[in-house]
Amino acid sequence: MEATEIQERVIKILTPYVKDQAALASAGPETNILEDLKVNSARLVDVVLAFEDEFDIEIADEDVDTVNLVGDCVTLIGQKL
Amino acid sequence: MADDHRALLRQLAVSRVLSPIWVPIFTALMRWGLRWHVEEMAAHRAMYARLRTESNAPLLICANHLTMYDSFVIGWALGGPGFYLRNFSAMPWNTPERANFSSTWWKRVLTYVLKCVPVERGSDRKAVAQVLDRIRFLAERGEVGMIFPEGGRSRTGRVEIESAAYGVGRLISALPGCRVLCIYLRGEHQESWSESPINGERFRMKLECVEPKTDARGLRGSLDLSRQIVTRLVDMEKAWFDDRK
Repeated sequence: MEATEIQERVIKILTPYVKDQAALASAGPETNILEDLKVNSARLVDVVLAFEDEFDIEIADEDVDTVNLVGDCVTLIGQKL
Repeated sequence: MADDHRALLRQLAVSRVLSPIWVPIFTALMRWGLRWHVEEMAAHRAMYARLRTESNAPLLICANHLTMYDSFVIGWALGGPGFYLRNFSAMPWNTPERANFSSTWWKRVLTYVLKCVPVERGSDRKAVAQVLDRIRFLAERGEVGMIFPEGGRSRTGRVEIESAAYGVGRLISALPGCRVLCIYLRGEHQESWSESPINGERFRMKLECVEPKTDARGLRGSLDLSRQIVTRLVDMEKAWFDDRK
């Protein structure tokens, strides 16, 4: 799967959790999920679980520690596919 | 051993050396200065002492969170100065929000001496993982970690399942055989969250020790364990209010 397609699906999954919807419109690989999109840190795990369901992958606890940017999500999912 | 773990052991040693000073002072402050009172304190202390002696399995304390002083009250309710000076590992490690205790040098000294592992809520996952690793390291050595699984003071004044921070479950997963002492603490005048309980507050506390288990793996397992703990706190909250009627 292409990175651009993964990114599109990642952003779609993030959408309901994002408090700053304006920032979401210009989101790219360097966009910070917590700081730029204002996603509640407690909800980040729900986001990652949604990635597991969407892409039919399993993500370990330790992998969540690497998720800060949208690009991190794309890289992590790409590695698991 | 990692530098971070060595630093924790150094902090523990400093805290232990100074404990004959700070443990009685804070106990006296709560008891006579602020005139706080915890009902059935002897029973709570007996239960905690029994939990400490009946097994060497790691023990975590998970409590609801309404004021910045909950950890002080819980620590006091679970043991007196004599008990802690004889069993210093029973004095729980607290996980305060760094922003609340880093504004002045004396607050930073206090957090260091009073067995605290500061947390930066909302920080990146690596920072959170480091805090969890510190608590795991300490729990494996017979120390007791105190965690607030809602991740902060409850803004509704009630335990919120949706606020369950999955890190608690991750910590439990990383500690085989881990026991969790769930504590529901609330003052009679505590209608919602606040900075501090009022002077003369009378607290009632409920305790239940559980060993959460899950068949789920990875993140789902951690989240399941966290929600089990918070669900237990919700049930204890209901019982607390039922007792009040």
